Amino acid sequence: MLEQTALEAAGISKRYGAREALRRVDLVARPGRLHGLLGPNGAGKTTLMRVLLGLVTRDAGTVRVLGRTVDSTAGPVPDGVAGFVETPAVYPYLSGRQNLALLARLDGDKAPRQGDSIGQILEQVGLAAQADDAVSSYSAGMRQRVGLAAALLRSPRLLLLDEPTNFLDPAGGRDVRALLRRLADQGVAVVLSSHDMSEVEELCADLTILHLGQVIFSGTADQLRALALATVHELHTSDDHAALDLAARQPGVKVAADGKGSGLEVVADVAALDAYVVALGRVGVAVRSLVRRARAFESLFLELTGQRTRSARLDEPIERQSPAVTS
Amino acid sequence: MSVRGVLAVIGVECAKLRFQRTARIALAACVAGPFAFAIAMRLQNALPEDTLFGRSVKESGFATPLVVLGFAALWVFPALTSVVGGDLFSAEDRYRTWATLLTRSRSRAEVFCGKVVTALGFSSLGVLALAASSLAAGMLVIGRQPLVDLSGALLLPGQALARVVVAWASVLPPAFAFTALAILLSIATRSSAAGIGLPVVAGLLMQLSAYVDGPEAIRRLLITSAFGAWHGVLTTQPYCRPLVCGTAVSGAYVAVCLAIAYRLLSRRDIGG
Repeated sequence: MLEQTALEAAGISKRYGAREALRRVDLVARPGRLHGLLGPNGAGKTTLMRVLLGLVTRDAGTVRVLGRTVDSTAGPVPDGVAGFVETPAVYPYLSGRQNLALLARLDGDKAPRQGDSIGQILEQVGLAAQADDAVSSYSAGMRQRVGLAAALLRSPRLLLLDEPTNFLDPAGGRDVRALLRRLADQGVAVVLSSHDMSEVEELCADLTILHLGQVIFSGTADQLRALALATVHELHTSDDHAALDLAARQPGVKVAADGKGSGLEVVADVAALDAYVVALGRVGVAVRSLVRRARAFESLFLELTGQRTRSARLDEPIERQSPAVTS
Repeated sequence: MSVRGVLAVIGVECAKLRFQRTARIALAACVAGPFAFAIAMRLQNALPEDTLFGRSVKESGFATPLVVLGFAALWVFPALTSVVGGDLFSAEDRYRTWATLLTRSRSRAEVFCGKVVTALGFSSLGVLALAASSLAAGMLVIGRQPLVDLSGALLLPGQALARVVVAWASVLPPAFAFTALAILLSIATRSSAAGIGLPVVAGLLMQLSAYVDGPEAIRRLLITSAFGAWHGVLTTQPYCRPLVCGTAVSGAYVAVCLAIAYRLLSRRDIGG
């Protein structure tokens, strides 16, 4: 029987000297779901992954994985839990296959996938052809694949991956995303840390956004999308003053000069934007260019994390979701 | 912590050692060195007369392992016993593999014990290789003649062999103490250079301090003092007090160094 939750982290806090890396962070991951852990650099994503994998001691909070409470860093990583943080590292003087064989040996008889299955996993991550080359000759992308293979070797039911598609070429990234989807379909809970919005948007049904060590959003991707009502565009016209005047009378459209004399910022959903462009034409204002600056998901992320670019300066502040909104 | 877990770690560490050139070179030097020494002694006229049993190297093959033992105590043992112990932990920092290692089904205690046993095992293997090689070199190059002990009495080949074996066995505890020191330094500094180099420097400083006037008790607390405890075994009436004292001191070094080393490792946050 599947557990209701594969991972329950509650009130995780971690301090490095005066710096608070994590502050009362909650995270719940469910079997068969891909959970995106988002945040700008320094948000605490990697620290949280380290805490969950037992690499770093937490100052406060509880971690429960696959129905078992994880007390500290002293114990082994529970069976069925696997993952990596940052760039996975293995022994460079050994081949990919030898590295995996050693790691399987460390897992002992707890890892059912050994022997021949190392070859299958190498095939799965697209490393079969180079499996017997020394890792020192591998590219960063190939090392990433070895890390993924090492995680899969543990037959995970909870997979914690920190930027798993880093260094991979587009085809490699696509393969890994497909693999993660397959794993989720098989009931694996996957927590995916990333700052690649498009990847998370494509893959994850559940999201947690961290900023400065705190959860600022937690919920489903649909809930986040519902918050992202508008898309930001950069507009260049033949008469910006007239365009601004028109915008004031146009419903659902917010337009502002960007302050540098290089166009206008338009915040509107697609329907309102279409109507605005048609209206501009009617009043004799030519649209010279209309460029989407940020995707709705991304602009919202930037807004939530206080990283608004000038193109994403929304007039109305978005309600912060803290403590986390759970789906 | 389970025995099976520790054995799994030992298996992995031994497999890694097989691929490491430094360990292979160290063992090869242990095997080849005594033969080169014995052949040189056989061919040249001069003898290492200022060394214990140096005058006897051409008269009895049993003198060869004892001369090698006296020489090795100066710096070979600290280096040999640190070459793996001083690198086994810090290599994980060098390769950034701690996170990989500690996200498997083994606890930090099992990883620590497995690595410690591997390091101590390698030190034993190094001492054993040097002892066996120097004994074989003496037998093959010089011969199995009786040996004159430090009291001037003649030891028959069987007796001489037994004394040589005991003498070499007596250096295992201080060798382990240097290995433990190397492990501690390796974990504390996260540097293989420090893990291997500092025990050698410490060994040389201990040797030098033995020549400085000072309290006898302090001298006895030095690991290197235990390397000379075998002298008492090569007298007609063996005296074992230095041997017992040296073993106790070495045991204390092992216990203290490993306790601190484990504390450091178990409390460490594994970062990037």
